[in-house]
Amino acid sequence: RMALASHSHRDPGGTYTFSSRPRAVESRSKYREPPAEQYYGNIMYDRRVVRGNTYAQHILPTVSQPDLAEVQRQQAVRKRILARRRAAEQLRLRTPEPLQGRRHTDVQTDLFLEELSEVIEATDTECQTDEFLDRPATPLFIPAKTGKDAETQIEEGELFNFDTEVQPILEVLVGKTVEQSLLEVMEEEELACLRAQQRAFEELRNNELAEVQRLQEQERRRREEKERRIAQQKEVLKKERETAEKVAALVYTQQYLSSLLPAVFGSLRDHGYFYDPVEKDIETNFLPWLVAEAHANLEKRHASRELLDSKINLINSDYLLLGLSVSQRRPQSLFQFK
Amino acid sequence: MAGSVTLPGRAAVAFGRWSVPLLFGQLDRKEGCLVPVLASLCDLIHDPEKLYQTVTGGFVEQLKVCLEDEDPAVRRKTCELLQLLTGHSTGRQALLSSSLLPPLSEMLDDSSSSCRRNVHLVLNGIAQLPAGAHALLPLVPKLMLKLSQEEEEEEVEVLLLSTLSCCSRVDALPALASDGVPLLGRKLSHSSPSVRREAAAAMMALSVPVDGKQQVCEEQILPVLVDLLQDDDLEVRTNAAGVVMNAAIITAGKSLSLELNVLPVLLDLLSERPEEEEERRRRKALVLYCLRALTSLAEAPKGRRLLREQLPLLERRTEDRDQDILRAAQTAIRVVTWTP
Repeated sequence: RMALASHSHRDPGGTYTFSSRPRAVESRSKYREPPAEQYYGNIMYDRRVVRGNTYAQHILPTVSQPDLAEVQRQQAVRKRILARRRAAEQLRLRTPEPLQGRRHTDVQTDLFLEELSEVIEATDTECQTDEFLDRPATPLFIPAKTGKDAETQIEEGELFNFDTEVQPILEVLVGKTVEQSLLEVMEEEELACLRAQQRAFEELRNNELAEVQRLQEQERRRREEKERRIAQQKEVLKKERETAEKVAALVYTQQYLSSLLPAVFGSLRDHGYFYDPVEKDIETNFLPWLVAEAHANLEKRHASRELLDSKINLINSDYLLLGLSVSQRRPQSLFQFK
Repeated sequence: MAGSVTLPGRAAVAFGRWSVPLLFGQLDRKEGCLVPVLASLCDLIHDPEKLYQTVTGGFVEQLKVCLEDEDPAVRRKTCELLQLLTGHSTGRQALLSSSLLPPLSEMLDDSSSSCRRNVHLVLNGIAQLPAGAHALLPLVPKLMLKLSQEEEEEEVEVLLLSTLSCCSRVDALPALASDGVPLLGRKLSHSSPSVRREAAAAMMALSVPVDGKQQVCEEQILPVLVDLLQDDDLEVRTNAAGVVMNAAIITAGKSLSLELNVLPVLLDLLSERPEEEEERRRRKALVLYCLRALTSLAEAPKGRRLLREQLPLLERRTEDRDQDILRAAQTAIRVVTWTP
């Protein structure tokens, strides 16, 4: 909180000021509480009370803000006091300085001389304790006997009895071992149970598995057998059908072919594929030659006749030219011209 | 009294709620020797409450650092701790969801044999859970390799075979792919009954898919199984009967079994009737498997003929009290008296 409701400060004059903002009155209860225990203090011992003579007390100046002149005046006063003191010091009468070769000393002029010395007379005393003597043994203090006499004696082995001492240790050791072994035995039992259960299950499972496999195998065998038989049956049927077809085909072909042969032969013969080779030969070779020869012969005759005709024509034409007739011609001259 | 009394070789354990976090804090800061701290943790984890606190507090991840420590004792103890975790369902699930499986699988090739044994214990624990077996499937080839190397002790072999059989029950194909059947066939003639038992169980799991059945018939496993059917140990006989049951489902199995004269052996096994409840319960699996095997064999004509003569024996079995045996016997009778 930077801005306090109240603040106080020392102003430069050394006075103390205090100002505070107005504050709301705090609510307080209507009735005062019963007065708390009041501590009465002794006025004599109260630090707030001024003691002694108050004439020379340094009172606070009534003016809170002493002005500059006041401050300066006070400083001057102080200086003046100091100067006065110094001056007084200067003016104090002193004995003059001693001359050369002399010395001033203080002398006592009273009737009785006093030794003025600063040395305080002191005496040295020393004290030394006696050498320590061995303290003589105190005489045994034997008080008057009161009470009853009782005695006790620690027998051998009473402070430490091995059997009782070892018991806790043994208990711990044995207890731990037994606990451990109990755990292990329980675990082994559990495992044995689990294994027995597992084994029983395995046996049943193997059993059932074998049964299942046997049935599967049986199924498979039967199915295969069935399929084989069916296949066999099919084979047989197919064979039968094939044979029937073959027989039918055979009969049909026989029937078809029976008339084929004569027809074939007939058509072949018709087309002239069957021939007598000699005849053929004669036909192909001899006859054409013969014909050719005959033709040639005829050609020759034809040619000769043509020639003859032409000759005759020529002669005729000559005779015509000559104006002769045919009847007058002489047959010999025909040949002459030839 | 003396100061805190602790068992030798264990670190001090705080009381109540602070026990587990404090110990894990010590592990984290790696002050001094870690083995006592791990030993105390092992003791504490037996308690289910503390185990729950470990799992929910997310401390399991810190164990990863301990797994890769140089000291074999530290690694061994950490594996013991993990094995205890697999004893409870929350622990198993925490293990599966954490990233601890790769370091574990690397530790299979660890130099210290006790470490390897403990790792196998952990893997076996995980494999009991189906989800765990599923998660372990990628490891199956490596495990088969380990099995074939044959340098492990018997206990480790048993654990390995048990893990493999659990994984193969979920999915048998990886194991089959890495030559499971011949390898297991060799183990079937091992001298120790527990190894034989586990090998027969694994073989039973492997013979569930058809591939497995065929391999079982091809690899001459059936003669060995007939020997095992007359073994002394009940479990071995049970598992061998299970394998025969599975193998007899396919035709090749049927014919091979009939050749090897399995029928009389199975009938002998059926005809023993102990009176006490306990013994009867243990023999239940054997009886069931024998009945199923006979059912499968009865589907072959030759088997059916032989079994028709033995019908009274089967009918006696239908009077048994147990529901499953009853059903199995009825099925058997039905198959035997079936005519095409």
